[in-house]
Amino acid sequence: MKRSEALIEIDNIHKSFGNFEVLKGISLSVNEGEAVCIIGPSGSGKSTVLRCINGLLPIDEGYIRVGKHRVHELRSEKEMRPLRHQVSMVFQQYNLFPHKTALENIMMAPIQVLGHERAEVEDRARKLLEKVRLGNKADSYPGMLSGGQQQRVAIARALAMQPEIILFDEVTAALDPETVKEVLLTIRELVDDGLTCILVTHEMKFAREVADRVCFTDRGLIVENAPPAELFDTPQDPRTREFLGQVL
Amino acid sequence: MFGLDYSWLADPAYQSWLVTGVINTLELAALSSSVAILIGMLGALGLSLRVFWLDALIELFVEVFRNTPPLLQMLFAYFTLSTLGLETTDPVTGLKMPLLSAFACACISLSLFGGALAIEAFRSGLETMPKAITEAGRSLGYSRWARFWRIEVPIASRVCLPSLTNILTNLFKTTSQASVITVPELMYYAGQIYNDTFRTLEVMILILIIYVVLVSILSYGMSRLEAYLTLPGYGKEQ
Repeated sequence: MKRSEALIEIDNIHKSFGNFEVLKGISLSVNEGEAVCIIGPSGSGKSTVLRCINGLLPIDEGYIRVGKHRVHELRSEKEMRPLRHQVSMVFQQYNLFPHKTALENIMMAPIQVLGHERAEVEDRARKLLEKVRLGNKADSYPGMLSGGQQQRVAIARALAMQPEIILFDEVTAALDPETVKEVLLTIRELVDDGLTCILVTHEMKFAREVADRVCFTDRGLIVENAPPAELFDTPQDPRTREFLGQVL
Repeated sequence: MFGLDYSWLADPAYQSWLVTGVINTLELAALSSSVAILIGMLGALGLSLRVFWLDALIELFVEVFRNTPPLLQMLFAYFTLSTLGLETTDPVTGLKMPLLSAFACACISLSLFGGALAIEAFRSGLETMPKAITEAGRSLGYSRWARFWRIEVPIASRVCLPSLTNILTNLFKTTSQASVITVPELMYYAGQIYNDTFRTLEVMILILIIYVVLVSILSYGMSRLEAYLTLPGYGKEQ
């Protein structure tokens, strides 16, 4: 049952860690092909929202629908599997598996989880490595790659699941300034290809250029949700203004 | 030389005892090490599930087998298991005999002893697993079981390999205690030979050398394995 035509629909979700309420009623909907950036001070619940969308964190209260999956009703990892196929995630610390080469990192889940055929997956993985401009690093282990290269492998790994949606969790926050660019370029290409993306980011300039919509979160709530030009140039809420005043 | 007399070594009977002893020691060590490693992995998996009663059970197992002498465990296994009345009929002679031989009892007792130590080693390996790795596995749709075998075990076993080497070399040496329950391994035959020849010192020196050689091969193998499994870009790789 859908409440709207949006691809992702989040309605009034609450989440607490112990006594601390991180999400205090977040609502957001994302249409197919849309790129939405979430910005805001640390601790405002940005990354938590992403983890709730793909079921990594269970919510306490509220409604989350991704495509045909009602995420808040899924209980076991097994029930989550079709959802995880549809939604990939890229992390701040890349989270590559250190005991596998770049190519193997990309191939593992499609073969082991989705049961796709090895030859076809390898072909797909090599193409993805080309796409993120790391075709020559197929046999390198994560420990031999720079942060930016690892992050691009992680993006290729997420893409290899052939997801409809990718969640990016502060993917450039741990990178050297000079490698940030190459990762952002890769993400921009995905957005241009029409992949639905939700990005938690501190790169305001990037958010402005790439996003269809920007959400500003503060203390567990989405304070403001508008197209980038509007949100950055004429912020309505005083908290948005204060935050942008500090970071821009 | 030094008044040592090794002329008994020329006797084919003693030679075959030594060879049989070495083979049985190797079999005992290989079997109990394999089972101990399996117990270690499963125990650590059990602990990582954080189920209250399972935790308590595994902890109890570890405490009992880690904090009692392995010799006592072996005697205990031998006398309890053999009095259980499990019997089988020998197909050749038609005689009744205990289902569990002394060798089997030694194997079980050594596996449990090594397993208890291995649980601790694997547990420490799994505990150093970055939460990020687990999260990546989950986000890619891996089930708990698949994540454990395909991601956590390969990484954790590299982390705990040095302590596993210690456990396995210790276990290898502890196999000698099986001689007490009449398992015909190297130590047992050593006793047989010096009781026969009264060349106690000579036999002990020889047995000592054989153990040094065997255990050195084991630890050399483990260090090669460690080097082979070192993750490029991590740890002590040159």
